[in-house]
Amino acid sequence: MTTAPRAIGLPVGRLPRQTRRRSSGEHLWRWGMMLPILALLIGMTLLPLCALLILSFSNVTWQNARPILTSAGLANFAALLHDSLFLASIRNTLVFAAAAVSIEIVLGLVLALALGAVRRGKDFYTTAFMLPILLPGIVIGAIWALMYNPDFGIVDASLGALGLPAHDWLGNPGTALGAIVAVDVWHWTPFCFLLLYAAVESLPTDVFEAARIDGASAWQRCRYIALPLLAPTILVVLAFRAIIAFKVFDEVYLLTSGGPGTTTEVVSLTIYRRFFVEDHAGSGAAMSIVAFLVLGAVTLAAMRMIRKRQAR
Amino acid sequence: MLKLLAAALLACLSTAVLAAEPPITIAAPQTPWFGGFHHIVDEYQKDTGNTVHLEVSPFDGLLAKERAAVRSGQSPYAILIFQVQNFVEFYAGGFLQPLTAIDPKFRLDPQVYTFDDTVFWNPTTGRCERDGGILMSVPVNPNVPVLYYRADLYAQHHLPVPQTFDQLLANAKTLNAPPRIYGFVQRGDRGTLNIGWDFLPYLYGFGGDILGDQKQGDFKVVLNSPRALAALQFYVKLAHEAGHPNPASVTQAEVIQDLVTGRAAQAMITVAGAAQMDDPDKSAVVGKIAYAETPHAAGQVSEPPLGHWLGGIPHNLPADQQKAAMAFLAWFQTGKAQMDYARAGSPPVRRDVLTSSLANDPHFGWMRPLAESLQHARQPFFTKDAPGLAAVFDLKLNQALAGELTPAAALNQAAHAMEDILQKDGYKTGILPDLKE
Repeated sequence: MTTAPRAIGLPVGRLPRQTRRRSSGEHLWRWGMMLPILALLIGMTLLPLCALLILSFSNVTWQNARPILTSAGLANFAALLHDSLFLASIRNTLVFAAAAVSIEIVLGLVLALALGAVRRGKDFYTTAFMLPILLPGIVIGAIWALMYNPDFGIVDASLGALGLPAHDWLGNPGTALGAIVAVDVWHWTPFCFLLLYAAVESLPTDVFEAARIDGASAWQRCRYIALPLLAPTILVVLAFRAIIAFKVFDEVYLLTSGGPGTTTEVVSLTIYRRFFVEDHAGSGAAMSIVAFLVLGAVTLAAMRMIRKRQAR
Repeated sequence: MLKLLAAALLACLSTAVLAAEPPITIAAPQTPWFGGFHHIVDEYQKDTGNTVHLEVSPFDGLLAKERAAVRSGQSPYAILIFQVQNFVEFYAGGFLQPLTAIDPKFRLDPQVYTFDDTVFWNPTTGRCERDGGILMSVPVNPNVPVLYYRADLYAQHHLPVPQTFDQLLANAKTLNAPPRIYGFVQRGDRGTLNIGWDFLPYLYGFGGDILGDQKQGDFKVVLNSPRALAALQFYVKLAHEAGHPNPASVTQAEVIQDLVTGRAAQAMITVAGAAQMDDPDKSAVVGKIAYAETPHAAGQVSEPPLGHWLGGIPHNLPADQQKAAMAFLAWFQTGKAQMDYARAGSPPVRRDVLTSSLANDPHFGWMRPLAESLQHARQPFFTKDAPGLAAVFDLKLNQALAGELTPAAALNQAAHAMEDILQKDGYKTGILPDLKE
C-alpha cells in the first residue's frame, strides 16, 4: 500500500480523496460482511462466557420462583482448592487424557503406516477401522457396559475360556479408569488413524525410494523420514484429541458414573452434577471457568508447539 | 368402511364429551414402581375420559427437567413427581401452587400417609408442619427399604428372620457362596442418596443420625458420632465378609438383577422392587422371596428412611391445567385407585389398602413389612440443601466402601462438608468433635 503513493510522487500516508473514499467504503463493506459472523461469535460464545463468568462470582438462591444473585467474591474459586472431588476429577481427567490420547495416536499411527504399505483392500480396511467413531456415545456406553459385565459379559467370558478368573473391570477401583481408557481408545483411535492415514498417503514416495536405494532400513525410513514429515499432523491430532479427551463425559457417565469412590470422576461429570443435580450454579460456573482455563492452556501449548514445528 | 369411520368418530366424540378436563402431562421418573403408575394413569383415562400424557425420565434427568419447568414462563407439566429430598427446594422456592389455593375444599384423605408431614409446608416458619402448614402435594409412592430374603434358603438352612444386624450378618455368612450366590448385596454406588439411602437403615438402626432435630430448626451435623461410626463399620464389614466383591459400584438395578437371577440371598432395597420378584418373565426366584422390616442393632429399633415420591402442581400453569391436575390427584388418592395401584405392583399410599385382605396374599407379602416400617420411618433431610448434602453423604460413604477412606475419616469429612453447606445457606448448624481416625 505504501509503494503506490511513492510511485506517483505523493507523501506517504496521504491518499487522493477518491481513493480514501473508496478505501473507507471497502472498510465498511468488509466490516458489514464480517458483522453476521461477529454477531454469531458474540451471541454464541462471548455472551455465554460472560454469563458464566458473572455466575462464577455469585451465589444463586430462589425466592417466590425468582432467582436472586448475590456476590460471592472469590469464594466459589477458593472453595475449589479444598474440594476433594473436583481435585480428584482434575487429576483423573489429566491421567485419562494423557493415557488415552497417547495410546490412540500410537495405535492410529501404526495402523496408518501399516495400511499405507498395503496394496489391496484399502477401502475395506479404512471402512472397518472407521466403524467405532460412527457410533453415538450412548450406544458405546451400553455396548461396553454389557461387554464388561462380570456375570455375562464377553470380556470375562473370553478370560474364562482361557482359564482365567472373572474380573469386575468397572467395579474394581484398581481397573475402572483403565477400563474406561480402553473404551476411549476403541472409540477414538479411528479418528487419529483417519487424519494420520491422510498424511501418510501424501508423503513423497521419491524420498523413501532414494533412502531405500541408499540402504536405509524400514525402521530408519520410518524414524528419520516418515515421522519427521508426519510430525505436524501428529501435533494437530494430539491437540484435537487432547481437547476432546479433556471433555470426556458420556463414556464415564454410562459406565461408572465416576465411581467406585473417586477413581473415575472426571471434570465434566463433576460440573454436570454441581450444576444440574446439586443446583449450585455458582460453584459449577467456577469449575467450568477453571476447566476452560486449563483446556485453553493445553490448546495454546499445542498451538505453540505446532507453530514452532512449522517454523523449523 | 363407512361403519368403521362412524364408529371411530363416535368413539372420538364420546371421549371428548366424557372428558371433563383438558389434557395434562405428568413428569414421572423411570423407577421400579413406574409400571404400576402407568397402569393407574390408564385406569384414570378410562374412568374419566380425561387425557394424561406421561413424560418419563431417568432420575437425574427428571430433576433437571422439573427445575427448568418451574423456573420458566410456563411449565409444560401439570404435575411434577419429585423425590422427597427435593421437596423443600420446591416448596421454599415458591415453585409449587398450594393445593388448597387451587381447590379450597380439597383435603388429603385421612387414610393417606403424610410421610413425616412432608406434604405440608409452613412458609412463615419454613418448616413441614401439619398445624399451620399448607397442603402442597399428594404422596405418590411410599419408597421405604425392606429386607428381601430367600425364604427357600432360609428354610433349607433353618435360619431365623433377622431382627438384629448381628443376625443379618450371621445369615449372610451362612448363605454366602460366591460367585454362585452372595450372602448379602448392597447398593453401594454414589449419586444423590444412592449408597446414602442404602446406608440409612444401618445409621438409624444403630441409633445414629445425620443432623439434629431439623423439625425444630436444629441443623447441627451429628454424622460423625460414635454410633454412626459403628453403623458404617458394620456396613463395610457386611460388604466385605458376605457381599458382592465390588460393592462400591453396585447400583439399585444391579441389586434387583442379582435378586431375580438368584445371585443374591438377601438385600435391603426399596419395597417398590418387589413387583419384579414374582414376575415369571423377569425372575428366576418366583415365590421364593420373602420380606421383613429392616433389622437394627441390639437395644435399638428398626428405623428405615423415607424416600417417598410426591406429586405437586407447578405455580406457573394456567388455571384450567391446575384444575385438571387437581382432578387427577384427587382421583389418585381414592381407595379404589389405590387398590388398583397395589394390584398392579406399586406400593400404595393408603393405610387401609396396605392393611387390607390383599396383604394376606403371598404375592403381596411386602405389604405388612411396609405398613410396619411406615410407623417409624423418617425423613432424612428437611432442608433445601438436601441435594448437596446427599451428594456429599454418598461420596464419602462410597469412598469408605471402596477403601479410599477409613470409616472415621469418611464421616469426619462428610460432617465438615455438610456443616459448610448449611452454614453458607444460613442454617443454625454446628458439628461434633472429630472422630479419632
